[in-house]
Amino acid sequence: MGPRNAAAGLSNPVLEGLDSTTAGIAVWDADRRLIYANRAYLNTFDLRPGQVGELSYDAFVRQLAASNEIVLHSRDDWVAAQIADFGVERQLDHQMSDGRTLDTVYRASASGGMTVTLHDISSVKSSEFALTRAKEAAENSGESKSRFLRAANHDLRQPLATLRILIFNCLNETDEEHRKDLFHAMDVSVSIMEDLLSALLQIGQLDVGKIVARVTTFQLANIFERLSLQFSHQALEKGLKLRIASTRAAVVTDKALLERILTNLLANAIRYTAVGGVVVGCRTVGSSIRIEIWDSGRGIPEDQRDRIFEEFYQIPDGRRSKRPGLGLGLNIVHRLSDLLGHNVELRSRPGKGSVFAITVPLGDVWQSEAVEPEISETVGGEFVGTCVWLVEDDDILRNAMKELLERWGMRVNALASEAEVRTQLAETTDYPDLVIADFSLRGQVGTAIVQRIRQMIGKAVPAVIVTADAAPDVVAQIHAAGLPLLIKPVSPPRLRVMMHNLLFEPAALMNPHVESHS
Amino acid sequence: MSGVTGGDTEIPLGSMVPLTGPSAVDGAEFRKGVILASEEINRRGGILGRPLKPIFVDTGRQSAEEVVAAAARLIQDEGVHAIINGYNIGPQNSEYEVIADAGIIYIHHNTLLQHHDTVLSNPERYFGCFMANPAEYWYGQGFIKFLSWLRDTGQWAPDSNRIAIISGSKPYSIVIANAMASAAARFGWTVSFGPKILSTPRDDWCEVIVEAQASRPAVIANTHFYATDLASFQKQFVRSPSNSLVYLQYGAMHRAFLEIAQESAVGVIVSAVTGLLRDEAGESFSKRYFARFGQASTPQIGCQCYNAVHHYAIAASVAGGTGAPGEDGQNRNVARALLDVPFRSVAGMVRYHPQWQAAVPYPDQVHDPSLGMPHLFYQVQNQTNGLALIAPAPYNADKFMLPGWFSPR
Repeated sequence: MGPRNAAAGLSNPVLEGLDSTTAGIAVWDADRRLIYANRAYLNTFDLRPGQVGELSYDAFVRQLAASNEIVLHSRDDWVAAQIADFGVERQLDHQMSDGRTLDTVYRASASGGMTVTLHDISSVKSSEFALTRAKEAAENSGESKSRFLRAANHDLRQPLATLRILIFNCLNETDEEHRKDLFHAMDVSVSIMEDLLSALLQIGQLDVGKIVARVTTFQLANIFERLSLQFSHQALEKGLKLRIASTRAAVVTDKALLERILTNLLANAIRYTAVGGVVVGCRTVGSSIRIEIWDSGRGIPEDQRDRIFEEFYQIPDGRRSKRPGLGLGLNIVHRLSDLLGHNVELRSRPGKGSVFAITVPLGDVWQSEAVEPEISETVGGEFVGTCVWLVEDDDILRNAMKELLERWGMRVNALASEAEVRTQLAETTDYPDLVIADFSLRGQVGTAIVQRIRQMIGKAVPAVIVTADAAPDVVAQIHAAGLPLLIKPVSPPRLRVMMHNLLFEPAALMNPHVESHS
Repeated sequence: MSGVTGGDTEIPLGSMVPLTGPSAVDGAEFRKGVILASEEINRRGGILGRPLKPIFVDTGRQSAEEVVAAAARLIQDEGVHAIINGYNIGPQNSEYEVIADAGIIYIHHNTLLQHHDTVLSNPERYFGCFMANPAEYWYGQGFIKFLSWLRDTGQWAPDSNRIAIISGSKPYSIVIANAMASAAARFGWTVSFGPKILSTPRDDWCEVIVEAQASRPAVIANTHFYATDLASFQKQFVRSPSNSLVYLQYGAMHRAFLEIAQESAVGVIVSAVTGLLRDEAGESFSKRYFARFGQASTPQIGCQCYNAVHHYAIAASVAGGTGAPGEDGQNRNVARALLDVPFRSVAGMVRYHPQWQAAVPYPDQVHDPSLGMPHLFYQVQNQTNGLALIAPAPYNADKFMLPGWFSPR
């Protein structure tokens, strides 16, 4: 029996049993002396068995506080409280420095002493914490979802409004060229909507801290061009003059996020300007460029200038109630510019107008993105934009050939029959730069179809005949028509060489001859 | 001399080079590059003890028929394990078929975007086809960035933002011209003339020069690439010059261009997506090249094949040896090693794009010079001393100079 058992007067089997429990147990007598502590208690506070029978409660408390093994906000207060509360029944959770949480129960004994029991409840606490986090995340997610929906509503209005104007203009437009321009602008609006949706998804992610800026170097003009396409119709419709300066600057930032910022600023400028105009300009400031959006709107009162960046905040102004925003635009600007580390400034003169400015670091033009990173012939091939009419009655062949030609950047009008060719000739003015025709087309021959197309468009458009039938009479017929010939299955390199020669080096085809798959 | 020689263990290495015809001047250098690299490798013990035996076939005018026939001959008659050469402009990848059928390695410098399309269309079949320099497409946008860099850094104050673009009729020239035109607007330039595609070869450029000058361009770019044709162009331009920078495509790097154009060449800008660097390794290579082939040779051109043969030898050694036609299992190992083992050549880093199997360009595609082959911009500043390397950093050694044909303001 060791010294720690002296005062307890307990038998060995009982002591062994108490030592085997995971709960810590200690008994202090009326003189505040430690008269018993089981193994778990001693280990928890790093006490030696020899201290049982010797250690006073007050010394223990001071020793524990000084050891830093327990997390305390105010050491002296804690020590004083513990000493004062000797024998007071209570239950406390002690947070230990190693991360454990100890549920500690103090009970008074009949002789005026105190018994203390300890339970390690770390795993219970950790589960509780995880549950709380999960609950908070679920609540945040619900909040960010509704915020996202409001933002989506807000931001999609811009291109939708543009689209509505464009569609209206298009209905009344008789000039074909102008109609094409309008369709192009519609296409741009739709792509802006697509981009917006994906950007808004990012905004939703901003709420949960998931947005990571993808910083690249690019030409600022790329964004300015899109802003011009997006907003010029709206400005015109409102009778405002919109001027977007030309810039050659390369900037270093996240392209999509900067575009979101500028789109919001410009949309606000147009929305809140009744007469005059809006100017987007920029000026170099050291190694940065300051992009400024000037408007001749009614300005922002001094006392509102901080608040306008808050979420859902609207400047109280009856005149703006006709088509109000939701007060998200500037909040998005604020949060995104924070994320990107760009400074946003506001100058405003009530009754005169406002200037929002954002400062972005300048980049090295060599590192500027010029194209999509994955270049292909669709982007830069020699046949990009060339219009080809492909006349082939076999569906599988026609589709395969169409796919190949489109991969090379060509605009393909795939036609299955002579009747479809006739319809096209009657309906379109998008005439071919090149014709590829099958020889045998259900009762018609490709050479005659080429002839017909040439007559109708009044031009000896380059053409090539493809055929699976290399019989001498067929070859002779094709040669007689003065057309070159490719034998099926057509090898892509041979087709490429043939098309190149027809389009760019016709002298190489002075004597039409059979090209075969080698 | 140590090393290995001849015998049954030789590895036949094919090379399809234009030794006659309009590209013969380049063809001669391609051949020299293969020879010098093979000699150096053989002196060091060859590929795992087997010496390389280069075999050349003339591709003449580089038509599809000539190049396909050359590939077939090298494979069927000579049993080559690989074909390594400079460019052949005519076949439009039709030679890939013969090579893919044989399952051997093919490293070329055709500088064509269509290489990407062919390889991507069937990576399994075209596993062995590599383009050791970046596609011609990068010339176009790289040039626009170069112009913008000159302008934005104040080295040159253009009279306007107008560019005139003239193209030859080969796909290579057309793609470059189109790429220039499409990138121009993003960097603040306007294409005021062209791209005007003219049938080439040609030596009379007077009419198109006058047409281009009528648009008062700050830059005239000619993307045709025959050295002699470009020399004619430049001589005709300086007869009545405008305040325009003149950019001429690759052929103007050749000594033949300088010899014909003479003093009229001074001021011309020219670039190469594969070019010899002016660093220690590049200078050392030049010395060896001149010592082996004489001062009239052009290491700037010969370095391409030289690099590719060295890279192939390293990759084949890593892969445990080469493969004859039909041994495509071993050649797939070599192809994998070519992709896995980038090679710092005398023209900069050869690092193959894992899907395109083409060298990645710096700074056009990657911004880290250790990861891409530099697109080098030169200016003819001295008729006798050759080309000044003016961009990009960190390879540039000289400064841009306003061409002498500019009239004082």
